[in-house]
Amino acid sequence: MLDVILSQVASGLVLGGLYVLIAIGLSIIFGLLGIVNFAHGAFFTLGAYFALTLYRTFGWPAVILSPILVGAVGIVVERLLIRRLYDKEPLVSLIITFALALMIEATVRLVWGGIGQPFSPPPFLSGFYIWGPVLITKYRVAVLATTAAVLIALWLFLTYTPFGRILRAGSRDPEMVGLLGINLPRVLAWVFGLGCAISGIAGVLAAPLWTVTPTMATNAIMPAFVVVAIGGLGSFAGAVIAGLLVGVVIALTIQFKPEASGAVMYLFMALMLLLRPRGLLGERWERFE
Amino acid sequence: MIRKPGLVVSRRQALFGAASLAAAPLAMPHVARAADPIRIGLLLAKTGQIAPQTEYLANGTFLALEERNNMIMGQPAELIWLDEPSPQGAVQNMQKLVQENKVCAVLGGSLSSNALAEEAKAAELKVPFVCDNAAATEITGKNCNRYTFRLNTPVIVQSRMLAPYALKYGKRWYHITASYAFGQDILRSSRELLKQAGGTEVGSDEVPLNTPDFSSFILKIRQAKPDVVVGGLSAGDLSTFLKQWNELGMKGKIPFVEIAIGDTDIWAVGPEAATGTFTKQWYYKNPANPPAEQAFAAAYEKKFGKPAADKAWMGWITARSLFESIEAAKSTETMPIIEALENWSFKGSKSDYRYRKFDHQMLIPNLAVSVKDKITDKWDYFDVKATLPENPADIDKVYGTEEEVGCKMT
Repeated sequence: MLDVILSQVASGLVLGGLYVLIAIGLSIIFGLLGIVNFAHGAFFTLGAYFALTLYRTFGWPAVILSPILVGAVGIVVERLLIRRLYDKEPLVSLIITFALALMIEATVRLVWGGIGQPFSPPPFLSGFYIWGPVLITKYRVAVLATTAAVLIALWLFLTYTPFGRILRAGSRDPEMVGLLGINLPRVLAWVFGLGCAISGIAGVLAAPLWTVTPTMATNAIMPAFVVVAIGGLGSFAGAVIAGLLVGVVIALTIQFKPEASGAVMYLFMALMLLLRPRGLLGERWERFE
Repeated sequence: MIRKPGLVVSRRQALFGAASLAAAPLAMPHVARAADPIRIGLLLAKTGQIAPQTEYLANGTFLALEERNNMIMGQPAELIWLDEPSPQGAVQNMQKLVQENKVCAVLGGSLSSNALAEEAKAAELKVPFVCDNAAATEITGKNCNRYTFRLNTPVIVQSRMLAPYALKYGKRWYHITASYAFGQDILRSSRELLKQAGGTEVGSDEVPLNTPDFSSFILKIRQAKPDVVVGGLSAGDLSTFLKQWNELGMKGKIPFVEIAIGDTDIWAVGPEAATGTFTKQWYYKNPANPPAEQAFAAAYEKKFGKPAADKAWMGWITARSLFESIEAAKSTETMPIIEALENWSFKGSKSDYRYRKFDHQMLIPNLAVSVKDKITDKWDYFDVKATLPENPADIDKVYGTEEEVGCKMT
């Protein structure tokens, strides 16, 4: 039985890694901009479709450009739409970003069509490893490695670079940052773009595993919100821990009670919110109090 | 009294004239109706995992009307398409179609869960409902009613047709089915057939809809080492499962069979990962397709630039049966349309397609198809192995007797 559990944990970590990437972008945007972005899943979908087109046109190496394109779309969206929501009621941003999600989905449907698009892992990542009792495919190992690399790079960026310090300071006290002569609106556009680009990375990684359809965001956005709620709104480390936990809990539920695997993350979230309403590592944020 | 020049109308005459004008439509209803289009409702999901299939169902439905120059009984006709967001939402939209849009019949029913709710509502509203996609056995079984007709072959019938192919691989089956009406129906039917064949179920998983990662399920299947996996997943979930089945190295190791695959499901899987043996109602490259279906396939490809998926044909044949029945009934009233649908038929290659009177189920042969060993055309994935039942005379028997079906028309 131990071998089965270990294999399921490995499988859950890969799924959790994807959830972490989607949730981190959502968490960064909420933490720094104060926007609950319902369109976040749509940027995940865009990541998958851009990767598909880049692969078909230029081959596998070009796929790396997909998150950059998603980030660029995010910056444009922030400039045209999101920045008008900063001083509005949270409900307004919820409605507007929900409408944005529908609009992006409709655009994807218009450009690429409504049916699923075939997209398999690259040939150099086909096959699998068997490490003792654990079976895992090469592509899933690559997904885990990429997720870890992105998270480490993001943490280093936010912690050690001047831009990262501005972001963190701006999230706590935007007025003070503005008084120091920093053009915060421009910074916020980059933050939104960064959040979308990370979601785009998750889309690229998920595309060879999931079915690439205009509605693929529905499989991503709810788990992302659950992960953010469990981890604590705006918490980087919280999202990482919660995402991996959710993935593993789902995988183990599939082993023992498969029909409950869709509901278990919501149960987990409800328990967490009852025991610790701020989430695992949720902090007290002055500007949202 | 001196009569004044010009048109002089007394107050009494004016009132009488106004009343006559107001009553004119009542006196000449046929004149008023001639100006109104015949409205037909279409209830198909516009979003969600089933949306890729409903796009084709809708395309086929609209094409069937275009073939008639958008005319029925010499009058303009129009389709009004509303969404099926959920069973409750679908029922609300059916009510809207009937009460606000004044449709004379409704087509649709993309998911079994929706169609089961819609057929009950159709009976309540007393409107003909022709279901094109849902396959749950109960629709024309114990839940049947006189207002509901259904194209798709019931799950139990398709399972009977597929069982011999699954048994060719062995008697140790693993079931992986969706945890909603369609999947549960497959599980029930397949277990019964396996029991009759003296086989063993070595594992069974009910999978929530929209599951993004099947690797944990596949690990369980791998561990159970069945002779064959009998699937009951739908649309996008089936595509995702087959992609990950290949990714985890299971393609070619354990055979996979499932009923009712849609072309769009397999197109989304891709040639590298596609595998399995399936039942389906129609295939655009089946050389046995009758001339009218070949003409439809050609018209579809000309209009949309890609081949007609089976779902397009399903939308087309269902709509055609309704339009021709309204034409035959020479009426938009419910009962004449129902009687005409009961007498409708279409010349198929081996046997005529028709709705059976006691359960309103369309009797139509199915195809057993297997994924080609080598796929060279991005649309052409299947080899047609057989038309089922192989003897057309057996079609009534395969669909079950009145007693087996359990339909009591209300």
